[in-house]
Amino acid sequence: MTSRLHHAIPLQSFPRRSPSSSPPPRTPLRLPQPFVPHRRRATTILLIPWRPPVTWMGRRRRRRSAPVSCTVAERDGEDGTGRGGTAKSAAEAAARWASLIPRGVGVAPERILRLISGATSSPIGQFIESPRTFLHSVDPRIKLVWLLVLVVLPARSHIYMRLGLVLYITLLSICILPYRIWTDQLGRVALLSGILFVMLGFGSDSVPSLVQLRTPPPSITGLSNVPSSLSGYSYIITKLGPLQLTRKGLSVASTSACLSFTIFQSASLCLTTTPPEQLASALRWFMVPLALVGVPVSEIILTLLLSLRFISLVFDEVRNTALGVIARRISWHQLTLMETLDVFFLYIRRIFKNIFNHAEQISKAMIARGFCGDSNMHKIYLFTDFSLGFVDFVSILCLLSLIGAAVLSEQLLV
Amino acid sequence: MLQEVFSFAPMPWASLSTALMKPSPRYCRCRSLIVAAEVAPAIEAHKVSFSVTNKQGKSVPILKNCSLHVPPGQLWMLLGPNGCGKSTLLKVLAGLLNPSDGTVNIKKPSSFVFQNPDHQVVMPTVEADVAFGLGKFNLTSDEVRSRVSEALEAVGMLHYSQRQIQTLSGGQKQRVAIAGALAEACKVLLLDELTTFLDEHDQIGVIKAVKNTVAASGEVAALWVTHRLEELNHADGALYMEDGRIMMHGDVWSVLSFIKAKQVQYRDHLHL
Repeated sequence: MTSRLHHAIPLQSFPRRSPSSSPPPRTPLRLPQPFVPHRRRATTILLIPWRPPVTWMGRRRRRRSAPVSCTVAERDGEDGTGRGGTAKSAAEAAARWASLIPRGVGVAPERILRLISGATSSPIGQFIESPRTFLHSVDPRIKLVWLLVLVVLPARSHIYMRLGLVLYITLLSICILPYRIWTDQLGRVALLSGILFVMLGFGSDSVPSLVQLRTPPPSITGLSNVPSSLSGYSYIITKLGPLQLTRKGLSVASTSACLSFTIFQSASLCLTTTPPEQLASALRWFMVPLALVGVPVSEIILTLLLSLRFISLVFDEVRNTALGVIARRISWHQLTLMETLDVFFLYIRRIFKNIFNHAEQISKAMIARGFCGDSNMHKIYLFTDFSLGFVDFVSILCLLSLIGAAVLSEQLLV
Repeated sequence: MLQEVFSFAPMPWASLSTALMKPSPRYCRCRSLIVAAEVAPAIEAHKVSFSVTNKQGKSVPILKNCSLHVPPGQLWMLLGPNGCGKSTLLKVLAGLLNPSDGTVNIKKPSSFVFQNPDHQVVMPTVEADVAFGLGKFNLTSDEVRSRVSEALEAVGMLHYSQRQIQTLSGGQKQRVAIAGALAEACKVLLLDELTTFLDEHDQIGVIKAVKNTVAASGEVAALWVTHRLEELNHADGALYMEDGRIMMHGDVWSVLSFIKAKQVQYRDHLHL
């Protein structure tokens, strides 16, 4: 028999009890007992020596073992020698089957998990108390207006204006945030915006025009081609194989990418320089008139505060669960692709389960602390006193200048 | 009433007459119990049972005929092995779970502090969270500020009032959770393993904060679930639970002796 049985606990460390030896004293307590495989049935890990086929995994000539969870049924008096041929053929079949299992995911899953645990360890969307900058002292209501303007402007202004806004927010982030934070945040947002730019730039106006060409080419109609512009204008800016970057594609891509960048990074800047209570107070200040027309302002503010509290819990959960999986020291090399995916699905399921458990516990805590479900009856104290200072006036002036510049750019630049 | 207090106490001196005839260091504690037993209890449970239904539709009893009473102005500790039903009993007392049988009487308002501070702290910053529980009262902003400051000072967290919750350690979060309960100035404090995440220094600080709150007005009663026997030194009374039942209910020394006797028995059992 070519297969070997490997138990999770080495058998050498737990010698079998001989029949002649006296049994241990009876005790009602269930103490840890030596591992003794069941005579009839033992669930073990069967490590089958296998050699990967040279045809498609030529480089892997090292002898490996495939972990296969199986149930071995032993009969009394059977040691396997009596059925040598059957056992051998079964082992060969198992080895053939094992060789067909796709492997080679390597340590990539562990790298991904380490990346997740590392990425979520830095504060995302959380207030950073120090170093205290001028942005910390700006009134939160003005910050909210800035946020609104930065959402609207990239969508409605010239491309130079959009790029200027991106540059402005980048410089502001570098000046305001600590080095580790801005490199982390800008890296993520730039990656997302870059992907959006490339996908929309080359995808929005190149592939559809190729596959849905409606006008017949000049070679078929016999007419002369449309003359090129004398001023050097060209609708197609550049070509990349079958893909092309057109003026329309550039416009769509730059708008989307700049919009994504400004929304994410400006919101991040606002959250990192404004305490959640101040943000909620400012929002409540703007929304109070809406309560007259039946808008549930108190509920919205409470939901915002709970969400801001929950962000950190979610990141903690994602990080802790990832660290928990890493700490198990899984032999990713020995797992098949499906088994690796299974571990990841387990990971995601665990995160969701823990987050929902957190939400349930927090709701219980709120009930225990006197919250009866009506936000209007339970007052939220935010301890925020609004006062406009010099920095606030400068900030308002800058905001007005920016809006003016955006309007002028739309008028002057074509 | 008096008999009920000592009904579970197996010690010979546990009865009133014997206790009074034999003056001992324990006498003072016994006397405080006797005096306290004469006033209406702040926490009272009578034959409380609680059961849950499992997947097979069978009723699984968690609490079985639990009776207890904690007088006002006292700190009582609830001890017992893991899974014996301490936290469930506390949740039943807090009204978070409905008992299957029996009655519960608690002086209002009451506060409950969970074992895990991440489940207790609901607001993003320290002072907003401590003030959250005050939202149910009709208080002025100045009064709220004053209560929040006092509660934070009691647990040694006044300098952290503006801090974000996620920047605090487990012990600091626990102290914020306790401050939230203290700020409400409740008549009853139900505290579930408060010192699990705390080091020795913080542990003593928190116990003293609770003890001072209880002793200050003489109207506040606290029931504290714990596994740490050394915390019993700060208690006025104790309960010992096992398998959903209250096995022992009385003064600290009798409960401590009972637990130590069980420990010795357990060690003998293991031949240690």
